[in-house]
Amino acid sequence: MPSTEMLMAEVDFAHDDVPDLHQRLEELRRHGPVVPVRYHGERVWLILDHAPLKQVFEDYDHFDPARGYSLIAEPSQGRTIQTMSGEEHRISRGLVTPPFLPMRVRGLIEEIMEPIANELLDRIEGRDEVDLVTAFTRPYPFLIITRLLGIPMDDEEKLLGWALKLIDFPWDPEGSVKAKRDFDAYMQRILDARRREPTGDFISMLVQAEYEGERLSDERVLSFLGLLFPAGSDTSYKNAGSLFACVLADPALRQRALRSDKDRELIVTEALRWQPPTALLPRMASADIELGGVRIRAGDWTLFGITAANADPKVYPDPRRFDPDRDNRDILTFGRSKHFCLGMHLARRELETALRIVLERFPDMRIKPGAEVEFVGAVLRGPRELIVQPHGEHAERRQCA
Amino acid sequence: MRVIFTDPDGLVHCVEGKDGESAMACAKRNLIPGIIGECGGAMACATCHAFVEEPWPGRLPPPAQQEREMLEGCIDVRPNSRLTCQILLKAELDGIALSVPDSQV
Repeated sequence: MPSTEMLMAEVDFAHDDVPDLHQRLEELRRHGPVVPVRYHGERVWLILDHAPLKQVFEDYDHFDPARGYSLIAEPSQGRTIQTMSGEEHRISRGLVTPPFLPMRVRGLIEEIMEPIANELLDRIEGRDEVDLVTAFTRPYPFLIITRLLGIPMDDEEKLLGWALKLIDFPWDPEGSVKAKRDFDAYMQRILDARRREPTGDFISMLVQAEYEGERLSDERVLSFLGLLFPAGSDTSYKNAGSLFACVLADPALRQRALRSDKDRELIVTEALRWQPPTALLPRMASADIELGGVRIRAGDWTLFGITAANADPKVYPDPRRFDPDRDNRDILTFGRSKHFCLGMHLARRELETALRIVLERFPDMRIKPGAEVEFVGAVLRGPRELIVQPHGEHAERRQCA
Repeated sequence: MRVIFTDPDGLVHCVEGKDGESAMACAKRNLIPGIIGECGGAMACATCHAFVEEPWPGRLPPPAQQEREMLEGCIDVRPNSRLTCQILLKAELDGIALSVPDSQV
């Protein structure tokens, strides 16, 4: 039985950049499939291996997701499908699911994703050098959400300010709550308009949704809309950065990415495995359990080590090699079971579309020679920046590592 | 019991199903192309869609509302569409035939 002392105690996985995260996780894995580490100053159990992580993702008796989320997300974001369980969760999720299903999301490619990608790339044209994160990968998923919600372009800055504040509760409770109030007041006008005259758009679908006789109150719609930003913008932008960091570094991958939808699907999936945007996911144990030789108690915080499980050599040989032809049907990037990421199809189509449009418009784009690409963050993870030459020529072969 | 999958390329796979497992789990276990089942069978991902060949649709319990609503959002949904995570295999379904759509996405 491992000691309850923290391993690698000089690292706090909540606060530190941990650029060498993957090496550290492999070092920790030598101690066992479940290890104690530091998170927000306290000891938590980090679950590293694929088999136990898959098991706990599906075990709501011992790891009900609502248990932890209701503590860390509800104060500023209100009750959402993230913080609910049981029947309430089932019905609430049923109410908001239709806009996220494959057919609907496919329609958004031409309607929203391509125009936004092109608008952002118009501003890169002719530039010698640009940070692709600032110029493209960061605004792209954010604007997809604002367009989906029918927010006019002039108000995008305002929305960005509120979106950043909404998840800031642990650091700035007053500011976070004020941001939610301002966001709600702003969005209420759009809700009212859609209730009066539905247009078939995303918000119209939500205000008109009915499931087993239940409907969504304005408060529930507003809370759900607030959830979209941390769940669907912060995550996608980090993985978009990681995706381009890999593809732009390898001419063979870049060529393959232009070949077909199927090739892009495979490349995006491998990027989601290789550098999942939610690298470590905090979850609270809801009942005592013995896991990987460790006794975890109800109320203990754990970290679901998604990026570690996605690199478990028992499941993914030579895991740090970027290989789109792996069997990736069991990657844990989007979770498992009833709280499986609702936005999975949206995320994938966004990433595939971005890949296609960027490479079609800038076939010679490359990472600036000599520019370092550093991945940072242990909870949300992506490249700090990605300095590219949009019209660079003679891309050099580099190992994606 | 036997389960017959026709994959998106038209290849027919005859595999053994386990009593009590879902058709989705059977497909994944047997590496049938095109059935993804990413959420693990919780009706939360809409990536295990398949077409149930005659005469089998009538021999299955009808889909619950949640399954029907998910199916409505799937690509190329047809009257004989089902989410394979909701088809539980048992001896009476020996020989059930399913075909996999071109794409789940």
